[in-house]
Amino acid sequence: MNEFFEMGGYGKYLWPAFVLGFGIVVLNLVLALNSLAAARKDARRRMEISQ
Amino acid sequence: MATWTWFHRLASPPHVYAFAQRWTPWFGGFAAVAMLIALYGGLVLAPEDYQQKDAFRMVYVHAPTAWLSLMIYTTMAVAAAVGLIWRMKVAHAAAAACAPVGAWFTVAALGTGMLWGKPMWGAYWVWDPRLTAELVLLFLYFGYMGLRAGIEDPAKADKASAVLAVVGVINVPIIKFSVEWWNSLHQTPTVMQMGKPKMDGDMLWPLLLMFVGFALYFVTVLLIRLRAELLRRERNASWVREVVA
Repeated sequence: MNEFFEMGGYGKYLWPAFVLGFGIVVLNLVLALNSLAAARKDARRRMEISQ
Repeated sequence: MATWTWFHRLASPPHVYAFAQRWTPWFGGFAAVAMLIALYGGLVLAPEDYQQKDAFRMVYVHAPTAWLSLMIYTTMAVAAAVGLIWRMKVAHAAAAACAPVGAWFTVAALGTGMLWGKPMWGAYWVWDPRLTAELVLLFLYFGYMGLRAGIEDPAKADKASAVLAVVGVINVPIIKFSVEWWNSLHQTPTVMQMGKPKMDGDMLWPLLLMFVGFALYFVTVLLIRLRAELLRRERNASWVREVVA
């Protein structure tokens, strides 16, 4: 298992790269969902005000 | 006439909103499955490279993020052009939805590239044609978003930013072919080239699957952001009242 994480000595570059890359994958999904939730909330508030 | 029906539907915000809502879980689900299998294939099953040893596994995160940074820009430019030519609001909304995602993936491509460059070239950064052009891509995304943020009237912001997106698309082939046109430290294409890929099958399938996963992922995020854009733009429309009620 240790051997897997060491990646022949390249682990110290490899794992940060994967964390960065896939971290940005997860982050962009979260940002998009937040943006949609905010837009829905705003639209609902406008609807309530106009009623 | 039937050919134009889909085009008209594509221009209708409530139709596009409903479509996006229906398909997002499917695209997202398949993206996650493809990425996880590709990760296992690339990090565990694929043999090490005879030259780069285990460092070659960087390709499974660097190539898909870099490819996505270009694909998102191209999508943004095409959407912006459609918006300009046919005055289609949904297309402008799609272009605007692309920009932040594209900027983030340009950061991912640059960051993962730096972490690959250090052990292979001995430096995190060199002012190499491809690296420099990719950095220019990041500034183009920033310019696009800055321009939109700076113009209050949405119609004017759409038009001005669309022109910038379309003109800036010239940078995409420059990045793609930089490694062939100039003496670059960056390696030449392994997969995206004419003829057979220069890669063993055991290494290749996880990479191709990762590309598929990233493409599906981008569609997922784009559909979510597009819905948010449409809600903001059409906030006074009756269909918005129905979907948020």
